[in-house]
Amino acid sequence: MSVIDILTRVDVICKRYDKYDVEKQRDQNVSGGDAFARAYAAVEADIESALEKVELASKEKSKASAVAVNAEIRRTKARLLEEVPTLQRLAVKGISTEEMAARNDLVLALPDRIQAIPDGTAATKQTGGWMSSAPSASRTAIKFDSDERFDNEYFQESEQSSQFRQEYEMRKMKQDQGLDMISEGLDTLKNMAHDMNEELDRQVPLMDEIDTKVDKAAADLKNTNVRLKDTVTQLRSSRNFCIDIILLCIVLGIAAYLYNVLKK
Amino acid sequence: MSGSDPGKLISKADNLTTLSLTRWSADWESATRLYEQAANGFRVSKDYEKAKLAFEKASKGREMLSSPWDAAKSMESAAALAKELRNWTEVIDFYRKASELYMQCDRPQFASDSLAKAARAVEDALPSDAIKLYSDACVLLEDDRKEQMALDLYHAVTNIYVKLEKYTDAVAFLLKLGLAADKCNATNSQCKAYLSAVIVYLYAHDLKQAEKCYNDCSQIDAFLRSDQNRFAGKLLSAYKEGDVEEIKRVAQSRSITNLDSVIIKLARKLPTGDVAAFKTNAAIGEEEALDENDLK
Repeated sequence: MSVIDILTRVDVICKRYDKYDVEKQRDQNVSGGDAFARAYAAVEADIESALEKVELASKEKSKASAVAVNAEIRRTKARLLEEVPTLQRLAVKGISTEEMAARNDLVLALPDRIQAIPDGTAATKQTGGWMSSAPSASRTAIKFDSDERFDNEYFQESEQSSQFRQEYEMRKMKQDQGLDMISEGLDTLKNMAHDMNEELDRQVPLMDEIDTKVDKAAADLKNTNVRLKDTVTQLRSSRNFCIDIILLCIVLGIAAYLYNVLKK
Repeated sequence: MSGSDPGKLISKADNLTTLSLTRWSADWESATRLYEQAANGFRVSKDYEKAKLAFEKASKGREMLSSPWDAAKSMESAAALAKELRNWTEVIDFYRKASELYMQCDRPQFASDSLAKAARAVEDALPSDAIKLYSDACVLLEDDRKEQMALDLYHAVTNIYVKLEKYTDAVAFLLKLGLAADKCNATNSQCKAYLSAVIVYLYAHDLKQAEKCYNDCSQIDAFLRSDQNRFAGKLLSAYKEGDVEEIKRVAQSRSITNLDSVIIKLARKLPTGDVAAFKTNAAIGEEEALDENDLK
């Protein structure tokens, strides 16, 4: 089967199991508070039901019932087109500029969507084969095996599942708190690291100066040491040393001679 | 020698330096030595006035002996003693003289250091003089292209201005700080400086100036990419919405605690005055924009 077929099948299955999507349910409930969102949701629901009716019509065997369904669809379309201006006015009273722009875009796209609902009149004017493939997919009859058993009660939350969901929410909250604390700590660390960086940058030229000065001092010391060594070797050269010893011997000899003479 | 009375040493040294019939040239070397000994003796015996005088004379002696470095050091000691005596004008004079002597030795860092010490000493008593001293110190450092050392001095000047409640001057100095930080690639300090500037404007309750300042600073890449930029944006949008709770919450966040302590205090006190006024102004601005669109 082609990719488009897979996509349509996945779409239909998702719509079927929409009731399990808690987030979506919650969003739908939340948007009930806002006038624009409510009206927009109502229009969307109407469009969805009109599309479903289109599918029904295509499955109808008798021409009369098909014509009746088509007429109903046309009436719905006209009603929806009238509601679009009111939606536009509601959209302008938006909260912030970005939301206003988004809502405006949504409202502007509505007329096109409404017009695109096939009502059996202008079938040839349909845009390409995309719209026709939607009914064609349904014509290949996506069947659900356990179709009849899915009533509202089946989708209700059991105690276990709601407990599980609660635990999940709690853990998520705790994780969020932990992550917040970590982020605070990281913030402090980042600031400290930046300050240390700047301090080290400040000290680099000072170290360079110290380096040059110490090099100069070391060179001076070396110089002085060499000169000192020269002087010292000069002072204690072997020639002077020998002369010293000879003179010392002569003095000792004279002293011994005198000692002998005086003893006598 | 160290045991003898410092007073006697001073008089002896004075004798050596004064010219008279029996003495044709002053013997500065021995005189300076005696002066220094006397000064130390006075300092130990806590006679600050006389010690200060002795240090002054010692410094003069060193100058005569053409060693400006030692002269500067003696001058600094004299100034420190003058600080003990709380004689602020003398403190300023001595430190200025010391810095001139350091410049003679071609050591601008020490010169600016002594000016900074002077400013710190007279901060409480004569804030305007302190500001002048700090600015001179910063100029010296910038001439020597050592702007990084100047960052602390700029912070000090900003603090003084904030204390005097001269907020525009404080912001001017913060922007100078940013410039100096930019020259030595200290991006963190730079961003913090700009954020502090926005906060000071908001504390002075001048939203327009704060926004202008923020827009100017956003021209700079380093600031644009930084956390401080996001934080400033959040703060300004909270102000525009006039939401006091939001402002307080934003002001408690981590970015503030990284700034200077004086700025933190200002931020904690935000918002000052009536933010609802800003809100109505902003709303009027939006409605006007809608009218223009309708005319089209």
